[in-house]
Amino acid sequence: MNNTAWELYERLPLPTRRDVDWQRFDLRRLKLDKIQDRPQSLKVHLSPAPNSGVIFCDLPTALAKHGDLVRQHLGRSIPIDEPRKFAALHNALWQTGAFLYVPRGVRVPSPLEINYDLQGAAGYPHTLIVIEPGAETTVVQKFTGGLPAGSNGNISLHASGTEVFVKEGGHLHYISYQNFAENVFDFTLKRAHVARDAEIDWVIGMFGAAFQRYDIECVMDGEGGMSYMYGVGFLEHNQQFAQFTRQHHRTGNTTSDLLFKNVLRDSAVSNYAGVIKVEKNANGTNAYQANRNLVLSEKVKCDTKPILEIESNQLRCTHGATVGRLEDQHIFYLRSRGLTENQAREVLLEAFLEPVLARIKVPDVYKEFSELIHHKVAR
Amino acid sequence: MSTTAAPTMQGAYKEGFHDDIKTLHKVPKGASHKVIDYMCDVKGEPDWMRKFRHRSLDLFLKQDLPPWMPGLRDEIDYDSITYYMSPVDKPARRWEDVPEEIRRTYDKLGIAKEEQKLLGGLGAQIDSEMAYHNIQDSLSKQGVVFLSCDDGLKEYPEIFQEHFAKVIPPEDNKFAALNSAFWSGGSFVYIPKGVKCDIPLSVYFRINAEQFGQFERTLIICEDDTFCHYVEGCSAPVYTTNSLHSAVVEIYVKKRGRCRYTTIQNWSTDVYNLVTKRSLVDAHGVMEWVDGNLGSKRTVKYPSCYMIGEGAHGEILSLASADKGMWQDAGAKLVFFAPNCTGRINSKSISGHGGRASYRGLVQVRPGADNCRVQVNCDALILDDVSRSDTYPVMEIDGDLATVEHEASVSNVSEEQLFYLMSRGVRKEEAVSMIVNGFIEPIVKELPMEFAVEINRLINLQMEGSVG
Repeated sequence: MNNTAWELYERLPLPTRRDVDWQRFDLRRLKLDKIQDRPQSLKVHLSPAPNSGVIFCDLPTALAKHGDLVRQHLGRSIPIDEPRKFAALHNALWQTGAFLYVPRGVRVPSPLEINYDLQGAAGYPHTLIVIEPGAETTVVQKFTGGLPAGSNGNISLHASGTEVFVKEGGHLHYISYQNFAENVFDFTLKRAHVARDAEIDWVIGMFGAAFQRYDIECVMDGEGGMSYMYGVGFLEHNQQFAQFTRQHHRTGNTTSDLLFKNVLRDSAVSNYAGVIKVEKNANGTNAYQANRNLVLSEKVKCDTKPILEIESNQLRCTHGATVGRLEDQHIFYLRSRGLTENQAREVLLEAFLEPVLARIKVPDVYKEFSELIHHKVAR
Repeated sequence: MSTTAAPTMQGAYKEGFHDDIKTLHKVPKGASHKVIDYMCDVKGEPDWMRKFRHRSLDLFLKQDLPPWMPGLRDEIDYDSITYYMSPVDKPARRWEDVPEEIRRTYDKLGIAKEEQKLLGGLGAQIDSEMAYHNIQDSLSKQGVVFLSCDDGLKEYPEIFQEHFAKVIPPEDNKFAALNSAFWSGGSFVYIPKGVKCDIPLSVYFRINAEQFGQFERTLIICEDDTFCHYVEGCSAPVYTTNSLHSAVVEIYVKKRGRCRYTTIQNWSTDVYNLVTKRSLVDAHGVMEWVDGNLGSKRTVKYPSCYMIGEGAHGEILSLASADKGMWQDAGAKLVFFAPNCTGRINSKSISGHGGRASYRGLVQVRPGADNCRVQVNCDALILDDVSRSDTYPVMEIDGDLATVEHEASVSNVSEEQLFYLMSRGVRKEEAVSMIVNGFIEPIVKELPMEFAVEINRLINLQMEGSVG
């Protein structure tokens, strides 16, 4: 256990409904007393490491074998004093995870898979990805498992952290999704640093868990850097998702784009809050942000807060947010073409999410996403 | 009489002079229960109002500021402010009866008698009290009431008590509590059923004193099937110390009524402008706020429409220009309680010379408010790289029957647009000015003519020398 982080965790108060960001959520089901005694049980499964100097292994092995290399980057993006309750918990308690290092100029042809399967009460995986200058790769990160519905009301706690460094001219296609069982509370922080002329293409899928809080951030550190952040969420039953994104332009002549699309049905609750932060002298920034929500039930609660904080003037920033429902006209049109009402709805829902799915450049993963969504849509 | 000219933008602030006007009433500095008792005695107020004021002061002292209002707790020295001060006892009905020195101030500001020809009524407040308040006979014959808020309490006690502090209770926020404790002046407007008040009612607020708090209170009641256009303007002298302006405006738009409330806020950069404005809109009523913020050191103001009747419509046009030393924290709120309502927010902001313009907005659709449609547009223009622009919109939607759209953009004056205009022989400075004026045009065109001209003049002044 890391004591510094643990002290911070104990010092930070548990968010309550009085906190603006948490007002829709109730964390009382989450019993945090003696949390350090919860047995951690997490299965880490990685696809085989390619040759050509790529290091791809679980984090304890990496620390043992490539200690210096790991320590050069570990905690540089998510520092030990990251001032958030559940990031501190993660920092204090993580024991395993994955390390990927792609050396300078190496292009890895096939996607690398990181699977985390939560076996029981708790898991805190830490992922560290380093893409050296000019290197290129695709990572598919999956989170699954946890206690299913019922389970005597017991819940699994998951707090993960992913640190990403894409260095000069590097390119990372990062696909990550969670499809946890019903009784999981998931707290996740992902932060990527994008250097000069580097690019990261994100696709984030949010499907399972009782509650998830995602913090996804890109830090634009070098000119010419690009981040394309795409997210899809499908919320059903009493699922509660909080999605926080941050596009932080520290340097000018950088581009970030973001599209998060959610479908909410039953009594689902979602809260999206996205910040575009452009620092002084980050001229030549292009930043876009869109959050689109489709609500299918009157019991749904859907909040969206797209925020801009701009301190430069040579730039172009736009954002948009919508909350809407399926248009009767569209359904009518499809029905006039011979589709049943249900078919028409399915077609429209899948079409709504397609712009995000289309960003997945790995055919198998695209298929996985579509099948998952199709299964939910056709419920 | 003295006129102070400060550097940069303030050189262009022609309202920055201050006149020596003899005060009739003045209380010791600081927010105290004693001040309230003094005010109630002077004003001869009923007991319920005295109790209400005392309760409000307790709330003010107890209440905290929300975390997103940084600085206001420490920046303002509430003990150094004078909470009640007046050169007059009660508003004159004839311009000639206004004390000469006050008349001179208003002449300089251009709020001259002639303007009355264009207006259905005119009010003029200086410091705590209304110096002048009059309405055209044609309107008063139809039963339109346009009084200072204090006279409204005296002359229409029942209507007043029924509506007062019901839209914005003192519990609402710290500054609403402060206003409720020390309110003085402002307008009381009552438009009886079916009356369309086609010519605007206008009020001008002037702070003349130093380290002073102006707390005007406005209550507008538009009965069924009415129309009313209320226009307010304001200014203050340039001092080196800070003043506080904290108004509360409550508006009722009853069934099928329509109210338009236009503000041109042009306080000097010593004034903290912390205002709560809200209207309740009943079935098929229409409320329109046209909110122009051009001055003040810090403005915190989000005109709101609460749609409580089916088919109501709320619209807010917001224009903010943040120049040197200003932070315009402006925005709008639309809250839907009833079905089939519609709303629109259109916000434009400009920041230059180190100013900061923020849009803060709330769109809330409550359970049962089915089939509501809302559209929000925010555009911001940043003129240089020492200035700042923020957008903080919040949308909270319960249920599936609403359609909510929000869009915002922040940009600079684009090279292409400049190049095009310059290729047509327009000087760069003029070109920037044309682009900025084009940018704010959709809002400016909604203003009464005199105000539109004034805004364009002010914007052009702020533009001067802004192109590097």
